[in-house]
Amino acid sequence: MLSYLVKRIFGMIPTLILVCVVVFLFVHMLPGDPARLAAGPEADAETVQNIRKQLGLDLPLPQQFGHYLINLSQGDLGTSLRTKRPVLTEIAARFTPTLLLTITSMIWSVIFGLVIGVVSAVWRNRWPDRLFMTLAVSGISFPPFALGMVLIQIFAVNLGWLPSVGATSWQHYILPSITLGAAVAAIMARFTRASFVEVIQEDFVRTARAKGLSEKVVIVKHTLRNALIPVITMMGLQFGFLLGGSIVVETVFGWPGMGTLLVDAVSARDYPIIQGLVLLFSFEFILINLIVDVLYGVINPTIRYK
Amino acid sequence: MKPIYLRRALLAPAVMACLAFSQTALAAKDVTVAVPYGFDSLDPYNTNSTQSQAVGKGWYEGLFMFDLDFKIHPLLATGYEVSEDGLMYTFKLRQGVKFHDGTDFNAEAVKVNFERVLDRANALGRYNQFKGIAKIEVIDPATVKITLKEPFSAFINNLAHPSAMMISPAALKKYGKDINLHPTGTGQYEFVEWNPGQNVKMKKFDGYWDKEHVAKVDSINFRVVTDNNTRAAVMQTGEAQFTYPIPYEQAAILKKNDKLDLLAEPSIIARYIAMNNLVKPFDNPKVREAMNYAINKEALNKVVFNGYARVAEGVVPGKVEFSQKMKPWPYDPKKARELLAEAGYPQGFETTLWSAYNDGTSVKAIQFIQQQLRQVGVKVSVEALEAGQRVQRVETVQKPEDAKVRMYYIGWSASTGEANWALSPLLAGDSWPPTFGNFSYYKNAQVDKDLADALKTTDKAAKTKFYKDAQEQIYKDAPWIFLNTADTVAARSKKLDGFHVMPDASYYFRDVSLKD
Repeated sequence: MLSYLVKRIFGMIPTLILVCVVVFLFVHMLPGDPARLAAGPEADAETVQNIRKQLGLDLPLPQQFGHYLINLSQGDLGTSLRTKRPVLTEIAARFTPTLLLTITSMIWSVIFGLVIGVVSAVWRNRWPDRLFMTLAVSGISFPPFALGMVLIQIFAVNLGWLPSVGATSWQHYILPSITLGAAVAAIMARFTRASFVEVIQEDFVRTARAKGLSEKVVIVKHTLRNALIPVITMMGLQFGFLLGGSIVVETVFGWPGMGTLLVDAVSARDYPIIQGLVLLFSFEFILINLIVDVLYGVINPTIRYK
Repeated sequence: MKPIYLRRALLAPAVMACLAFSQTALAAKDVTVAVPYGFDSLDPYNTNSTQSQAVGKGWYEGLFMFDLDFKIHPLLATGYEVSEDGLMYTFKLRQGVKFHDGTDFNAEAVKVNFERVLDRANALGRYNQFKGIAKIEVIDPATVKITLKEPFSAFINNLAHPSAMMISPAALKKYGKDINLHPTGTGQYEFVEWNPGQNVKMKKFDGYWDKEHVAKVDSINFRVVTDNNTRAAVMQTGEAQFTYPIPYEQAAILKKNDKLDLLAEPSIIARYIAMNNLVKPFDNPKVREAMNYAINKEALNKVVFNGYARVAEGVVPGKVEFSQKMKPWPYDPKKARELLAEAGYPQGFETTLWSAYNDGTSVKAIQFIQQQLRQVGVKVSVEALEAGQRVQRVETVQKPEDAKVRMYYIGWSASTGEANWALSPLLAGDSWPPTFGNFSYYKNAQVDKDLADALKTTDKAAKTKFYKDAQEQIYKDAPWIFLNTADTVAARSKKLDGFHVMPDASYYFRDVSLKD
């Protein structure tokens, strides 16, 4: 298992380098000139040229890429073209709020999703199933920004129970995590139900019942574990998406996360930040996939890695 | 919408909850202002964002300042004299003023600040505003003499602009390029923190030089809330006491809220459509006039701006010094069609309309204009550009013949409050892109001469005449479709006093106070 892990970790490096190259080329091909954008409409051509030189953008592209790679190997992701602070500092400042929000959303949405999914599968085609699946479809269809605004309107403006913007106290986490978690919970519920329905028809379940085990044990101990594999995959993917920062939810709730950082960087053509963030997201996804693969082995001991 | 009785039933517990949350606020007087954009820089010489400059007025001060009516007042300077030839300005400086780091404000500080922006190696974005300065001499600690390269009668306006701030030379030496992150000035407030994308906070400076204007609140926190609706929400929950801008659709709702005041004031933000005068069919003045007749500007203001805009009465908005009020172009589609036929386009023509902005209001505006032009046979395809596209397609086009821009919806605010800055960057012959913002590629020798002459003289009557001539000529040539000046719409808690939006969308908060 350990050698498997080590091999996978080393396998990350070529992927990340490839991501580096692609993002660098892509970002530099976007229309718009960061020096001009930084200088603003009231600056003349010579000022813009000076700014361009300061930012190192007048060097030929291969040379810029070379500098970038050399700095990267030393752990230096560069400096933001707009704020002139190191990219690492900018990203670090936004990483924790995004991470905490993601974890909060995932915790309750996974719990809800699993429970609802199992209940729907066990009582399939009866009223609990119909009710929860309708809720699930609504959860997926209701646009997050609309849900967020409705929640703010009801709980912050009209009732005054919860704060609306910012991330300073634990109460600030409630509304955004509900908004983010709604879609995830809905997807979890449907996936769990589908997977559960398949597994519950397997022979070993019939055997377990024939053995005389209580229905609860059959469902929770035997069926659930086997049904979890596709669900874990979906969980990993959702976690990866949420870690990228949900731009819509961040905008509505004024959440200081990485989503708005990315959008602002793209608008200003802040190349180092865009490159840094995309590298980070790629790394996160690869890491999550690795963890999910390891979890398969934990859930289903028959899966062995060489 | 909830029925009234339900709303009343929720009022009592809501009031209870609000009281519970507001208990902590009674101790210190902290103001929260919700702002729409993140801050790009806190260096007044290196930012073009009106918002960043506005917030800078908390900790920075310049030699002069604008009040709410855009009148100039001395601030760190107490008076000045101009030589006969208009080249040498001698300023008397205020004594006994200290920067937040304890160092003295004096003539040397003025010299250091202006030499910093003039040094091209620093590549500071506001260089253009100060490039007329030839040299700065310290006569004594309370007197400084500035010599210009050519007479420039709007020089004091440039010094009152929120970019021309006095930064502590000691701080500049200590922080160098990072002065951006540690603003140190002479203002009523001291810098506390800047979390990019989140907020900027300032606290009261007890050592402020003007004892009559010491800050009446303990701190001001400018919170970034980009979403329009969320900004309206935080005003209603009381988490912020002031916000600008309020989207026009929300204005009606906030007006009904009895804890808030809705403030709508005329601004100096002119909106217009520049037509590329070098290209057919816009090289024909009859076509350009027809375009002006074809748009129903009252309807535009009602539909797109919810009534919070005034039809353009001339080239330059009314509150700008030396603006000339002229009769608005009437809405006359029949005349428009006649003029087009005379110009050789009886069936109209096809072209493109780009918007420099992609916010909701601008998108509505260009769609509205598209429909209006269709009525006179002009078919336009519209596109709202985002910042990078705007820069690439319009602002940085090197050769005028390569410019693909045809009709361009854009706005401009003369941040020095004077006609020169409302006209030169947009309509002078040497302001064509990529140098500056003359996107209509307009050039008229008479107008250029008037603008140059106005700068050379300090005689108010003469200046008024030069600017009047220039504006009348421009209005006649109609390089633009003159649309409107939008109002600034802000919301302010009834507990807050003394916080205003200026006509150029900057903030004025010298006398801000918070009631309990």
